[in-house]
Amino acid sequence: MAYQSLVYGFVFLPLCLLVYQIAPQKWRRRVLLAFSYLFFWLLSGKLIVYLLGTTVFVHCIGIWLEWLRSEQKTALASAERCEKKRIKGIYQKKSRRVLAFGVLLLIGILAYLKYYNFFAGNLNGIFGSALPFTLEEKNILMPVGISFYTLQAIGYLADVYWGKIRAEEKLENTALFLAFFPQIMEGPICRYSDTAGTLYSGKSLEIDNLTEGYIRIFWGLFKKKVIADRLAIGVDAIFGNYTSYSGAMTVFAAAAYTVQLYMEFSGCMDIIIGSGQLFGVKLPENFRQPFAAQSAAEFWRRWHITLGTWFKTYIFYPVSMSGPVKKWNQYGRKHFGKYITMLGTSAMALFPVWLCNGLWHGARWSYIFYGMYYFTLILLGIAAEPLRDRVLELLHIGEKSAGLKVVRIAKTWLIIFTGELFFRADGLRAGIYMFRSIFRNFDLNSLFDGRLLELGMSRADLIAIAAGCVVVAIVGAVKERGVHVREALGRKPVFIRWSIYYALLLAVIVIAAYGDGYQAVDMIYAGF
Amino acid sequence: MKKRKKIILALIIFIALLWICSAGIQIVARNVKGAINERSRVFASVSSEPEKTIDLLVAGDSESYTSISPMDLWNQTGIAAYDCGQPAQRIQETYYVLKTAFQKQSPKLVLLETNTMFRNPGFLTNLQLSLTEPLNYHFPIFRYHNAWKALFDGPGGLKSGYMGFEIRDKTVSYEGDENYMKETKDKTEIPEVTRIYMDKIRNLCRKNGADLLLFSAPSPVNYNYKKYNALKEYAEEADLPYVDLNLRYRDIGIDWKKDSYDKGDHLNIDGARKVTEFMAKYLTDNYQLPDRREDGRWKEWNELAESYFKELEQCVIL
Repeated sequence: MAYQSLVYGFVFLPLCLLVYQIAPQKWRRRVLLAFSYLFFWLLSGKLIVYLLGTTVFVHCIGIWLEWLRSEQKTALASAERCEKKRIKGIYQKKSRRVLAFGVLLLIGILAYLKYYNFFAGNLNGIFGSALPFTLEEKNILMPVGISFYTLQAIGYLADVYWGKIRAEEKLENTALFLAFFPQIMEGPICRYSDTAGTLYSGKSLEIDNLTEGYIRIFWGLFKKKVIADRLAIGVDAIFGNYTSYSGAMTVFAAAAYTVQLYMEFSGCMDIIIGSGQLFGVKLPENFRQPFAAQSAAEFWRRWHITLGTWFKTYIFYPVSMSGPVKKWNQYGRKHFGKYITMLGTSAMALFPVWLCNGLWHGARWSYIFYGMYYFTLILLGIAAEPLRDRVLELLHIGEKSAGLKVVRIAKTWLIIFTGELFFRADGLRAGIYMFRSIFRNFDLNSLFDGRLLELGMSRADLIAIAAGCVVVAIVGAVKERGVHVREALGRKPVFIRWSIYYALLLAVIVIAAYGDGYQAVDMIYAGF
Repeated sequence: MKKRKKIILALIIFIALLWICSAGIQIVARNVKGAINERSRVFASVSSEPEKTIDLLVAGDSESYTSISPMDLWNQTGIAAYDCGQPAQRIQETYYVLKTAFQKQSPKLVLLETNTMFRNPGFLTNLQLSLTEPLNYHFPIFRYHNAWKALFDGPGGLKSGYMGFEIRDKTVSYEGDENYMKETKDKTEIPEVTRIYMDKIRNLCRKNGADLLLFSAPSPVNYNYKKYNALKEYAEEADLPYVDLNLRYRDIGIDWKKDSYDKGDHLNIDGARKVTEFMAKYLTDNYQLPDRREDGRWKEWNELAESYFKELEQCVIL
């Protein structure tokens, strides 16, 4: 039951809303939990035990960490001043061990389910008969959303450890935080401090929330069903048979896949955030006009924001503050100067972030390559910063120059499209083949001689995609100027506002790629 | 309270818009049937037939429209029949295709091919179909929404259609066991969803004054004695007549070396003509269906039959 399915929109969601509203306030979070587990069970069946196990485990570790903190407080209260440092040290060590135990077990489960076969296959492939044993590949079933709820669970434990939040006392609350059905499949990866308040409030349904929530859901459906699912047909055709296409078609495929991925993922986010809003639950945004980014680093601050924030909070900062990096800072400043030290520090902190980013998407070399690609580009961006500033100064080009902005955005698009080409390609070898075809056999004519219409998309499909992209781009441009679209619409006269809403609804119903002739397209990020 | 009223008004306007769009798209769909995808096309096609011109509706999955040829039936008996089967038709679709046909037609008999009665795509798909089919029926904008594409892609070409029947002139022999109806007491289970929708189909036929006849087309790939037992028991329970042509395929003259289209799954044109001939006799013996051949309102049927036989003459079974 995907979020864009009729069963979700017309049965599951209304039923959940109804039961939620009928239930007394203190029972409402239990209603959400029951529906969340039902949703998960419908998707993953008996694999729900992983989610249940993770929930109980995370809850217990959280309580344990909280207990250690209160013990530390008690011990410190009655301790002599000279003793306090020692006591703090003891409890910090204990807490760190508990956290490490919790995190390692969670990562261990994820690693086994997601990476075992990749590891076994590569080990066997590299060492072959030199090893006294062979690791057999296994048929491992992975529960849906494990990559999302595991990160959320680790973030929760780290926040409890750092004292940013108090551990949740009620198991049902921890369970709901990890399993809330709108976000279990594709995120956003929520922080406890951001969502717990509205998630547990059990507030009655409000008409404004219902209207805005459903409009947001339809906006998501527009992106997914009008644009992404149509593009999927052409993209699959080219990537599935990449040796038969010219370089120009490869460039088209890379750009089309990037747009498909954005429309699909951000569309699903709209459905998810809209679903949360129906219940008054505020989920964090995951996208902020990524195609307006002027650098690769900025792109990642606008694309899959919650994943980026998670890596920054729980990997980048801790690594930056770790002993080896601090030591390098001292050593580097003494021996290599400020610039090299800064580069070294950035590399040390960014490398694990981008390695994890690549691996998080799946157990494939092309994903690792994808992570390293951005690591290299972002590091090069940092390294080239002084030179770039100097050149701009010499050419008297201001940072806010419109021309410079256009060039930077174009450069970023080039980076993104290339990255997505390798990301989508069926393995690293296929990616390299496709990339090389751009320089060996470009054949611009292939884009205009009707071959595009042989990919399974008709002229009408291409027109629908183009028109849909224009609408999304206009909305994006308005948002980029700081206008809150829904609030702005809210200020319009009722007739205009509701005409726009109806146009959106009818556009989805009439133009969307569903029904006969269209295969339902799975949610891409649910597969990560 | 004021807000609630506004929401109700908004919903009413939305439903009215859907209704207007549905009325418009139905007109468009009838004119660009070629642009409508295959599964939905049968709804548009049967709806575009002139009012009260069909006396026999044939429904079911692909077994239905590969075994009854309305033009042969017309030629032999003058019965105006229409194949409104779909590939892998699910029972919910069977119900709604009949319901759609009954909007303009008053058939005396519905001939339901039984293979569809064993399809069970699972709980979620059944739930989805039980939602989408009524939605498609009441608001055809959902079913024909892709008709707008004809504006850019053209109206599309229709394959030669003979009241829902197409000439399939290929032969891929069935090489399996010809004695596939081995007697047993075992039964295949008829899914619960089928029973629910069969009740609805029976009521629909009763309400519209049409008889319902179950029949199983010859197909060694799809039928066996266990299915026969289940269907026979169901037919007795529901008080419906039932004909299993798999038990009589030798009497019908089916030769699995020559009459199979795809290794015993479906019949080719020769097989279909033999089954139609058998059913023509069965129908004239058991039902009072009118002979329309001399009636001026059915003039087009005679013309269509003529082109059907012309096409048959040109067919070389491969």
